[in-house]
Amino acid sequence: MSGAADREAVFPTRQSLGIMKAKLKGAETGHSLLKRKSEALTKRFREITRRIDEAKRKMGRVMQIASLSLAEVTYAVGGNIGYQIQESAKSARFRIRAKQENVSGVLLPAFESYTTEGNNDFAMTGLGKGGQQVQRCRETYARAVEALVELASLQTAFVILDEVIKVVNRRVNAIEHVIIPRTENTIKYINSELDELDREEFYRLKKVANKKARDTAAADAEMKEKKAQQQLLLESGQENEVPAAEGPDTTTDILAAEEDQDVIF
Amino acid sequence: MEGLLFNVNNGYIEGIVRGYRNGLLTSTNYTNMTQCESIDDLKLQLGPAYGDFLASLPPNPSTSSLAAKTTDKLVSEFRYVRANAVGSLARFMDYVTYGYMIDNVALLITGTLHERDTRELLDRCHPLGWFETMPVLCVATNIEELYNSVLIETPLAPYFKGSLSHQDLDELNIEIVRNTLYKNYLEDFYNFVNNHPDMAGTPTAEVMSELLEFEADRRAINITLNSFGTELSKADRKKLYPSFGRLYPEGTLMLSRADDFEGVRLAVDGVADYKQFFEAAGLGGGPGGPGNMGGGSGAEGKSLEDMFYQKEMEISKGAFTRQFTFAVVYAWVKLREQEIRNITWIAECIAQNQKERINNYISVF
Repeated sequence: MSGAADREAVFPTRQSLGIMKAKLKGAETGHSLLKRKSEALTKRFREITRRIDEAKRKMGRVMQIASLSLAEVTYAVGGNIGYQIQESAKSARFRIRAKQENVSGVLLPAFESYTTEGNNDFAMTGLGKGGQQVQRCRETYARAVEALVELASLQTAFVILDEVIKVVNRRVNAIEHVIIPRTENTIKYINSELDELDREEFYRLKKVANKKARDTAAADAEMKEKKAQQQLLLESGQENEVPAAEGPDTTTDILAAEEDQDVIF
Repeated sequence: MEGLLFNVNNGYIEGIVRGYRNGLLTSTNYTNMTQCESIDDLKLQLGPAYGDFLASLPPNPSTSSLAAKTTDKLVSEFRYVRANAVGSLARFMDYVTYGYMIDNVALLITGTLHERDTRELLDRCHPLGWFETMPVLCVATNIEELYNSVLIETPLAPYFKGSLSHQDLDELNIEIVRNTLYKNYLEDFYNFVNNHPDMAGTPTAEVMSELLEFEADRRAINITLNSFGTELSKADRKKLYPSFGRLYPEGTLMLSRADDFEGVRLAVDGVADYKQFFEAAGLGGGPGGPGNMGGGSGAEGKSLEDMFYQKEMEISKGAFTRQFTFAVVYAWVKLREQEIRNITWIAECIAQNQKERINNYISVF
């Protein structure tokens, strides 16, 4: 299994070897880039974690002050003014702008809070008594909401970054432990296959060369024999010219002499 | 002279109220309460005074439910006294409830203006300000109907008449409506205790005048201070000042012209008590005007509002030194309200673990 699974299904050709080599190079570049991205994100992530910690502590303090100031309002007004406040609020005084921040290709939402000036819907609540407490309570709660908004944008960034870092790390690991070894394996496989082919080719060529050499040797031998016979004939013709002049004699001789020779072609 | 026939009709009530006054928490109680570690401890400390009413609370109740239960006790005692009151004392006690009625009516008007279901608002109304025709207020769906057919039936009708039209209810800020009503109410109450044949020239008139004058002055000063930085014009502000009190008329005139804290201080210069308050508050006040209870920052010294509460409690306490007077009922209700506020405050401080400001309560006994 390991041998088959660890490489890609390609034909072991020189072309695919070239493709694989390009792929390996790409994977290595990508790996180093992603690694750097992941490091940048992690750095940012740590910073955000630290700021979340600070913001949460701050929120704890601010909320404590705020709820105490609400207690003051209850003390001063001597009753529940929640309903009046709710009904007299017409438009939002405290608003939020959403921005996007780009951290190595990750878009993080950042919330920015601002107060619209001159929007004071319940300025007159508690006119008779407790008005100052109501206003002060509003101020402290505005601060509390500010802290909450800051915390909200940090938390959102935290969650998104966490997700992105996981994805990036998964990619880095995938490239490092799967894609690069697999491509290397494929290259090795292609190389070995090509070598094998080379060897086969070499062997075949050798065989062919052998055969050719043998054939040539055989042909040479035949030729030599022929020559030797002709020599013999010539010599015998010189001895008795008459039989040499007589055709039928020579033909029968040739046939007789070539009786044991196989016809190869 | 007034002592001759007072007890015929009102002796029992006075006795009861004096008994209730003795049931108020004392400094020792408060000291014990501030030592509490949890709301349950506090509940235990309140046991002798509020036992029956706190019994139904779950362990570690919220401060608001604690406040609601303590208010319940005040309401039930008040209703008992009211049920036993006759003649002009009964009317006097009705007058006491009008202040709460104004708050309730203002609440219902707010609800009607925003076209809410006013029925659910009835639960939020102060039980002391409950009057029979109040649920009828919920029938009205628009403000004109409310004004023409419903408000006219309430005990508050005279306070609307002549100073507010139904257009006003629509256009004016509800706080202005409320304060206009309250001004009319205070003037009417003042008039009632001073001119009613049963009360004119009696200790009731004397003590109640002092209490109401103080209340009027306090409202005038508070309205002025709280109106800085709002769209309330000086002319409109002037209409909200009650036309009696120790500041009236010069002080109120100056108040109506005041632009800042200094202006208010100048206006009250004529009255030694208030001058003293402003001097004490002015030191720690700073640019934000007189601080309240120290706000979120420093808690140094007492705020103007605290001193007003303190003064009110002292006057109320003083009312019990007089005999044959209805004023003890009023004073008792005020003292009791302060007590509820104190309990709520201490409970809040305990619940929020903010012990350093727990001593901000006001105790006069």
